Amino acid sequence: MNSSFGSQKSEPESNIVTLNVGGELFQTTQKTLALAGPNSFLSTISSSSNSISDVPFIDRDPELFSVFLSFLRTGNFPSKSTNFDLETLISESQFYGVEPLLIDSLSNPSQFNPLNLEKSLLLPLNGRDTTSAISTTTFGSVHVAHGSKITSFDWSLTRKSTILTQFVAIDSLLAVSPDVAAAGATDFSGLQIIDLEKGYVKENLNWENSTRSSSTVQAIGSSNEHLFTSFESGRRNSNAIVVYDLLGDFRPVFEISRNEMYGAEFNSSLIPATKLSWVSSYNLLMASGSHSGPTGVLGSIKLWDVRSGNAVWEMKEEVDCFADVAVSSSLSCMFKVGINSGEVFFLDLRNLSPESEWVCLGNKTKLINAKKEGLGCKVECHGSNVFVSKGGDIELWSEVLVNSSLNGENRSGDRVFKRSLMGRVEDMGSNKVTNLRFGGNKMFVTRKDQQPIEVWQKNEG
Amino acid sequence: METKVSASSSPELSPNHRIKLNIGGKIFETTVSTLQSSALLASLSISTPTQPPIFIDRNPDIFSPLLSLLRTHRLHSTALRHFSLHQLVNESQFYGLHSCPLSSFSPPPFSPFDASFVTSISPPSSAIVSDFSASSTTSLLLAHSGKISYYDATTLSHSSTLRTHLDGISAIAAITPNISAVGSNSSAGLHFYTRADHVGSLYWVDNSDTRVQKSRVTSISDSVGNGGESVFSAAFECKHGENAVLIVDKSTLKVVVEIGRQSGNSAKSSAIRKLRWVPQLGLLVGSAVNCGAFGYSGYVRLWDPRSGEMIWETNEPGGMVRNSRLGDTMGDIDVDPEGLYLAKVGSKTGDLGVADLRKLGSDPWVYLKDPNPGLSANWKDGGSVVVHCFKGNVFVGRDGGLEAWSKMEEREVVEGGGDEMKWSLYRRNYVDKVEDSERGIIRKIEGGGNRLFVSRENVEGIEVWETSRLSGVKAV
Repeated sequence: MNSSFGSQKSEPESNIVTLNVGGELFQTTQKTLALAGPNSFLSTISSSSNSISDVPFIDRDPELFSVFLSFLRTGNFPSKSTNFDLETLISESQFYGVEPLLIDSLSNPSQFNPLNLEKSLLLPLNGRDTTSAISTTTFGSVHVAHGSKITSFDWSLTRKSTILTQFVAIDSLLAVSPDVAAAGATDFSGLQIIDLEKGYVKENLNWENSTRSSSTVQAIGSSNEHLFTSFESGRRNSNAIVVYDLLGDFRPVFEISRNEMYGAEFNSSLIPATKLSWVSSYNLLMASGSHSGPTGVLGSIKLWDVRSGNAVWEMKEEVDCFADVAVSSSLSCMFKVGINSGEVFFLDLRNLSPESEWVCLGNKTKLINAKKEGLGCKVECHGSNVFVSKGGDIELWSEVLVNSSLNGENRSGDRVFKRSLMGRVEDMGSNKVTNLRFGGNKMFVTRKDQQPIEVWQKNEG
Repeated sequence: METKVSASSSPELSPNHRIKLNIGGKIFETTVSTLQSSALLASLSISTPTQPPIFIDRNPDIFSPLLSLLRTHRLHSTALRHFSLHQLVNESQFYGLHSCPLSSFSPPPFSPFDASFVTSISPPSSAIVSDFSASSTTSLLLAHSGKISYYDATTLSHSSTLRTHLDGISAIAAITPNISAVGSNSSAGLHFYTRADHVGSLYWVDNSDTRVQKSRVTSISDSVGNGGESVFSAAFECKHGENAVLIVDKSTLKVVVEIGRQSGNSAKSSAIRKLRWVPQLGLLVGSAVNCGAFGYSGYVRLWDPRSGEMIWETNEPGGMVRNSRLGDTMGDIDVDPEGLYLAKVGSKTGDLGVADLRKLGSDPWVYLKDPNPGLSANWKDGGSVVVHCFKGNVFVGRDGGLEAWSKMEEREVVEGGGDEMKWSLYRRNYVDKVEDSERGIIRKIEGGGNRLFVSRENVEGIEVWETSRLSGVKAV
């Protein structure tokens, strides 16, 4: 502390900036103001003038300014900032051009730590419909589809807008940018690109299937440059994944995985994809879909090379088909919950081969005996964390990196994943989890028959 | 402003000219351009930058959020932590801040599919509200038993309550900013009150017809004066059913003309229960819905109030208009004075029918399709129904439930798509939650400003619905 104080003291006098904000004088250094960022209003204030009569004047509230100045000096908000609502701080930060710093400090995805999360807020929705789909952005804005409406909350969880759509209910929703989302439904033809601020449909995208019937949306996914949509024809005899250009004008660029069914011929690789995830570390698209038939639940998981249009790997699921499946790029692993066993399995992507098999992380004996214990379970990966919902409970699976000197009985292959149950006793036994999403430093949970959205985050203080 | 320092002497100030104010001992510094939107500037004498700060003997703590409001054109929610809206509005009036702040004190634009129950306002005593009027921009009027309670239309704070000579008020309307008109089920005449006094009464009289006597008021139009018109209308009904609409001059409080007199001996000629003025077309719309032993019956009539001529009418059941939905008579009806259409809800099916006021013919009704079958399933034949048009939406109260039909946004307006096309963009949504609907049967819905007000049967006070500025996030 002493040394940094000394170095500040040795700075030349001319670097000191005097400001008059709404009648109060502030003194700081050019260096501190420069921390606001090169494009911000604060960094443009020069120290050229030093005479008292020529002090730069800013016609704003001095108390609010002092909060931002403290923030620039220390990197933290002073305790005095709690005198102001977040909404007030945000609108003032927009004036000074320091909103990005505010977001970085309060909703930064790098601060996400699943072990710190606890159920802390409820986001209310208006009307009577419960959430059917939810989508988040990196910094924690969240879009919620409920009934025919989409409500958007910004990163500070302030309600931004609610718009009316043509859908009766939205089954798939994906935020494309903070103000634009892609939405589709299994009972409504076409994928709509919707402007969430103004409330109109920017683009209406349809898949031209061979039967010329309507095309419903089964799943939406995206990479940095592409938007993927799994379409099924209205007669349910053909399906495909259409790849749209996300950076340009939503032009269709590729069509992959086109399947057509004739007569009674059926095989699990013809099932339309109901989940699409981009695996960035391998540049592959994971597409999974399952089908409940007389012989039990059948499913298929494929990894697609989008550019060549080839499935580079495929797994047919017959015995303990997945209830849900997810990929973690950072772990290079795929995870599933078995629909019969209800247990979590993983598959290492690093040495994938046609013979690769799931490794069970739980009780292997359940494989044969159990009956649909995994029905409705969800798996979601966020960074190197794997979240699994079973009924109303949420489990966190994390990889524990153990020293090679430890040779325990808990080894599954060469990797160790450990389970922890999230939440407190009072959170147990809540309604069934329907969606798990992540944004900023938060986790969002929706439940069956529960209208407000749960926000799990680190509780300050 | 009371503490005028001196008359403005230097109108040539540059907008960037700085001004120092000493409010109760605390120095504030701002610029001419910030103060320009208030009367404060004009009352200050500003000459040189070196002059001592102008002293105003007020509380500096409350001045600070008001100055922020002038700077940013929005009221910071933080200000409401320390001061009530009422205090802030009062203080802003002291400083002469007029138009800009009032809009920042009111809630954001009302959106029916993003509105929620915010609060309930209830008069201090005998609080079951028999009628209310929210059409005035300055005050909200509540009639309860024989009293009128005035509330500030922006802050919803109670300003005064007046005891009228009536035992009960069944109809109330603000006809000018100062005068309200009231009518009663139990005594004759239309009565005018300022906030303090009874200023006159008006009776429907016809010396040539002995049947016209002791007429009671059944409805008062929501001020035929929203567009600055000088008249309003009221419907009167005599003991034996004889009824008519009187057009009344607002300044003299005298009858200008009587229109639509009828005998009242059948449902088709019963007294009007709802009067609304459509300024764009210069039409007065009157309607009545009666519920009898054989179900609902009702009518709508459109008059040109200047000539007294009836332009169009429809009667249900039957009448001269052929009804494509036989037996599904209207349960309630309203007119949208901005969107220019009639909206009715069928008493049997619960379906919403709309008719364009500019294209009324023998069967103008278009029935809206509800793509969500789950909503219609809750409708039970014979339930209570209330229809109110506000800001391009049709609000329907079905027993306790509140729903709205609203139009989707379009990227480009398709011209010539026809009525069917236009109405296909409407979607039905619940405004309320299930627990809201359990508070009682909805009696009246009326919009005013950026709010919707709802009164329920045998429930004290009225409910206020707003599109909330804050998300209302709850900590667990």
